[in-house]
Amino acid sequence: MLALETLAGLRIVASPEALDGVKSSDETIALRLAPDDALFLDATEIQVTDDHAIAVPESGFVGVWLTSAQLVERVMPHIEWSMPEERPALAQGLVAGVPAKLWLDDDRALLLCAAPYAHELTERLG
Amino acid sequence: MTTGRIVVDHRPIPYEAGDSVAVAVLRAGEHPHHGGTICLAGDCGNCVAEVDGVAYVRTCQTPARPGLVIQRHPALGAPPLRGAAQIDVTNPPPARRIRVQRSEAEVVVIGAGESGTAAAAAARRQGRSVTVLDARDGMEAVAIYAGPTVIVRTPDSMLHIHAHDVVVATGAAELHPVCPGNSLVGLVTARAAQQLHAAGVDLGVAVAIVSVPSGVPCTSVPGRLLRIEGVDGSVSAVVTADGEGSQERTTACDTVILGLGSAARDVLSRMAEHLPVSVVGPAAETFPLPAVPTAGTICRCSRVNVEDLASVWKRGFRELELIKRATFVGTGTCQGSVCLPHVRAWMAARSREIPEPFTARPASRQITLAEASAGVHVDAFRRTALHDEHLALGARMDRFGGWWRPWHYGDHVAEYWAVRESVSLGDVSTLGKLVVSGQDAVEALERLYPVRVADIRIGRSRYALLLDEGGHVIDDGMICREAETRFVLTFTSAGAGHAEMWVRDWIDTWSLRVHVLDQTMSLAAINVTGPLAGQLLERVGLSSPPRYLQHLRADVDGVPCHVMRLSFTGETSFELHHAVDRSVELWRALMAHGRDLGIAPHGLQALQGLRLEKGHVIVGQDTELDSTPRRLGMEWAVKMDKADFVGRSALARTGGLPDHRRLVGLTMPGSAPTEGSPIWSKGEIVGQVASSFTSPLLRQAVMLGWLKRTPFPDRVDVDGRKASVVRPPFYDPEGARARA
Repeated sequence: MLALETLAGLRIVASPEALDGVKSSDETIALRLAPDDALFLDATEIQVTDDHAIAVPESGFVGVWLTSAQLVERVMPHIEWSMPEERPALAQGLVAGVPAKLWLDDDRALLLCAAPYAHELTERLG
Repeated sequence: MTTGRIVVDHRPIPYEAGDSVAVAVLRAGEHPHHGGTICLAGDCGNCVAEVDGVAYVRTCQTPARPGLVIQRHPALGAPPLRGAAQIDVTNPPPARRIRVQRSEAEVVVIGAGESGTAAAAAARRQGRSVTVLDARDGMEAVAIYAGPTVIVRTPDSMLHIHAHDVVVATGAAELHPVCPGNSLVGLVTARAAQQLHAAGVDLGVAVAIVSVPSGVPCTSVPGRLLRIEGVDGSVSAVVTADGEGSQERTTACDTVILGLGSAARDVLSRMAEHLPVSVVGPAAETFPLPAVPTAGTICRCSRVNVEDLASVWKRGFRELELIKRATFVGTGTCQGSVCLPHVRAWMAARSREIPEPFTARPASRQITLAEASAGVHVDAFRRTALHDEHLALGARMDRFGGWWRPWHYGDHVAEYWAVRESVSLGDVSTLGKLVVSGQDAVEALERLYPVRVADIRIGRSRYALLLDEGGHVIDDGMICREAETRFVLTFTSAGAGHAEMWVRDWIDTWSLRVHVLDQTMSLAAINVTGPLAGQLLERVGLSSPPRYLQHLRADVDGVPCHVMRLSFTGETSFELHHAVDRSVELWRALMAHGRDLGIAPHGLQALQGLRLEKGHVIVGQDTELDSTPRRLGMEWAVKMDKADFVGRSALARTGGLPDHRRLVGLTMPGSAPTEGSPIWSKGEIVGQVASSFTSPLLRQAVMLGWLKRTPFPDRVDVDGRKASVVRPPFYDPEGARARA
């Protein structure tokens, strides 16, 4: 069974331009969930130039880091859509019928989903 | 040389190396399906049988192997649906689960014949990776979907191949005869005759019609095929004639070899119209239509004869698709591979126009339900962070609104009393939770909701319906103002997903400057409810809890919470919205601090009754698709003096019209009737019960129900008992307990 763990971070909903201009540390992975929505993993404070931005602590996602081999072996057989070829990239879609996301790095990938789906994803991926 | 035996209809039958099941059965002097032309190419349904418990298997495509159990289908009617009573479609037995392998390919070539091999070679010369599929190699393409995605059946799994390009090179199928006697045993196509002869199968006295297969001992019979005669179900003679009106010629024989021509094997290419799919070789050719059939079975799969076509034609069905629907021609095992050329020829003779082939849809071959559902997942149901806590407390979990939720913890009446008399916890993490922020936030919400929003003070909240353009209630929830331009909206658990899209869609449509964040799955929520709820919260650090319809941010036993004071149960209630990863910690703290207060969790069953006593509507359960606030008796929640909001114009237009539906309260002695029970008045059904509950406190059944006949009666019959129509709420009509 994959061990999905809580991913802490900061969730910011703001204008796309404001999110484009966000500067985060090199350690922070920024997942652009939508043009106006970003999740900054492991971040606690981010400056964003939008007075009406919604910036809240986020702990509603769980995830697990996979090697490229694990990705191919454990996850790819459960995906019906095409993977982006560029790296890094965020891919979003159903994995084994569960809404999930994949942060694809050069040699590893972060599989994540909303916490309420964690059990379904782990059970289905085995 | 016998190499093994298969079991056919409980009898062992020998087979030889390389035999398919059909060939082995024919070698034994029998027919795999009681009659009809044998093609040995997988094109028809004349050799289908039950193989190892799976019905409608083409035995000509099934290699014989030791111990294979074959049960021939009945000569008439469908094979029995074995084990139907044991099938649980939501939980198929593991033995029937079929693995799915997904892959990508630049080029997929379907068919490894001459044209397919050439197409594959050409693609490889261009440096492209090529996957070749051929049923003879156990890779049977059964469908092409958009993408294109090719669905392939293999002996032990299904392949879903995402391809850039697909080449269909499936060749051509031999024509079957349509004439009287075409369902007899002893009919084979020319290519099948060659296969059988090569396999050493004795064809007896064989005659060939039209073309003679090379190398097969047989006599060529000249002329046009008129009919086939038989004795005891097997061929005894073939009758031909040289021309119209010329003398019939009867030739005695055991086997009739039919070289009647071919038709493009194009079901996959027709299925893939408008997709990047090319067709090569005979599959792309236009073959001449066969002779116009005048009698006989035209579709053996669906048992349609030429007279059936004439009958529906006479009744006005003159389009191929209509004839297909009216007769079921082409809807059976072979999906029109055999009958379609003959039907087109028959129609062309009447309309003088050759109709286009009918639509081809997946799958081109019978596949089992397990194969069709391979890789398909049932809906993913979410679990709240408290799922394991509920289980540990003995909850019976069930699925509601896309979530697993506790229905009860063993005694829903005890849970009810905990809410009414002491304090109880309810897991309401499933509620929809949206944050909206922006300089146009007030404007957006004023347009979205039928209540006033601008005058909600910071720290206050207001109940609101959500209406569609027709003024119908689609959801409800709270509007909580956190700042001048920032609000938190809540929605029902089942409606949250749609409500989020609804809000986003309208904001986008109006081009308003508003940000939206859906926190439904990021935040958990616990409802602390009951007359001792305030006392419990004080123990966990909330010394100044919000007053009724107020909300604030505070730490509760060290967990940051958004505390909302409202009431769905009718008692003092505080919803504690908090991060999902702190939920277990908070739940346990509340349970521990409330032990001496008689705390107990309550499930949905108790909650349904508690809110029903208060007359609170559950959107989706008590509402119907066209329920307006007026029909629900909730006009108080609509401010028609607002300039505009979604649904206002419809409500203004219909508000003055008489209405004939009303959601009403009902009471009657005794236990609650089943929800959905009809409501009777003067011997007629005038509505139905939407919600019902046997109230432990009121000691009677309380209900919400729809009356759909006017004038609305004051007394009705439900479940054979007299019930009174009353105005809800049934409990604490002044709301004193909720505000306490």
